Amino acid sequence: MPLSMSERERYRRHLALTEIGEAGQEKLKAARVLIVGAGGLGSPAALYLAAAGCGTLGLLDCDRVDISNLQRQVLFDSAQLGQAKATAGCERLAALNPEVRVIAHAIELRAANVREVFAQYDLVLDGTDRLATRYLINDACVILRKPLVSAAIHRFEGHLMSYVPGQGPCYRCLFPQAVDGMVANCAEAGVLGVLPGVLGTLQATEAIKLVTGIGEPLLGRLLTYDALEMRFSEFRVARRHDCAVCGEAPTITEPHDAPSRAAAPAGVRRLEVAALSEMLQRGEQPLLVDVREDAEFAAGHLSGALHIPLGQLPPRLAEIASRGDPVFICRSGGRSMAACQMALRANIRSPANLEGGMLAWAASVDPSVHVL
Amino acid sequence: MACTVRIASPLRSYTRGAASLTARGNTLAEVLGSLEERCPGIRFRMIDEQGRIRPHMRLFVNSSEAQELTAEVNDGDTVHVICALSGG
Repeated sequence: MPLSMSERERYRRHLALTEIGEAGQEKLKAARVLIVGAGGLGSPAALYLAAAGCGTLGLLDCDRVDISNLQRQVLFDSAQLGQAKATAGCERLAALNPEVRVIAHAIELRAANVREVFAQYDLVLDGTDRLATRYLINDACVILRKPLVSAAIHRFEGHLMSYVPGQGPCYRCLFPQAVDGMVANCAEAGVLGVLPGVLGTLQATEAIKLVTGIGEPLLGRLLTYDALEMRFSEFRVARRHDCAVCGEAPTITEPHDAPSRAAAPAGVRRLEVAALSEMLQRGEQPLLVDVREDAEFAAGHLSGALHIPLGQLPPRLAEIASRGDPVFICRSGGRSMAACQMALRANIRSPANLEGGMLAWAASVDPSVHVL
Repeated sequence: MACTVRIASPLRSYTRGAASLTARGNTLAEVLGSLEERCPGIRFRMIDEQGRIRPHMRLFVNSSEAQELTAEVNDGDTVHVICALSGG
């Protein structure tokens, strides 16, 4: 795919690199790259890949631009609040580089559409904020034989690893199984705004290397970054022969929608927000234990709730046991489920999990409560 | 034997925010036991009821992955606790 005169001017600094040159820039022009998640990671990755002349760039996200996104999602600006991220992001990319063909996918990635979407691309970048979607992307890339550059972030820490079919371990080799709620996400735990800037830029770097075939891709190596200590570390990761998707006898042969939440273990009561609301209106006084972090609790909580962040819960379980059957509460129901499991192990007989957490409470019972 | 344990970001609520701690032990199991004494509850986030490393966790002794809790730990080693991250 030859370069035009204007492209030669635009990419002059790339053409000056012997490792890229005209042949590499033509490969970039022919490349079709999909970015799943137009968030903190997807923003810098998309900007740099558009600027670099990646010929076709897809942006997939079903969310809308919220003011709390702008602290780190540099693809958007204040004039775009409320707009669909996929289309707003593509507008910005097209303005940055009109030579690039941008495609907005304002949809949620599901097993039902992943084949159709991925068929349009040669390389996928994972910048999503749900583990269930991470596994869907990984499994689809393995099954459809697409290279994948995966990154993830939490507070001040980030991870990066690349996958090329047949050449190394996949994301499921790295972490065979995880469900949302085991780990607090950025909305729950907070994130340093510039952190995804570092990781998303590294994702774009890997994408350019994979497209042009230069350098040593991050295959079979997990790169970790700790922004507070300014420390990069690297860990060798081997392919698992028993990997459920890329192993020798795979049990996952079709992309599927993983449950986004862990099933409740025996002994845990599932308490819907409407049921809790009725209990409180009847004058009952269940022991409410909010296991969110300090800032989340300070922003808004249920009246009378005892505040014990999940990390401080184990030594205080005896105190809870002496006060009755607890109802554990968090933002969306994941950490509170972990608290229920801890309570069961501490012989608290009937812990309850507030299903959907404070988000469900705000959506269904009291919209005035502020949930971080 | 004393070693350094580097703690994954999602588990630092157990360590009062500390990124690394000193622990003692000749095996990974002993090191995690030592860590549990100082940070109650942290071991359960890494190890399940059957004593297996949870599938969303990876443990490394220096740069070598430890797949079993019997993995040897020597004086001055660094144990890295890596946890799947979900944020994007």
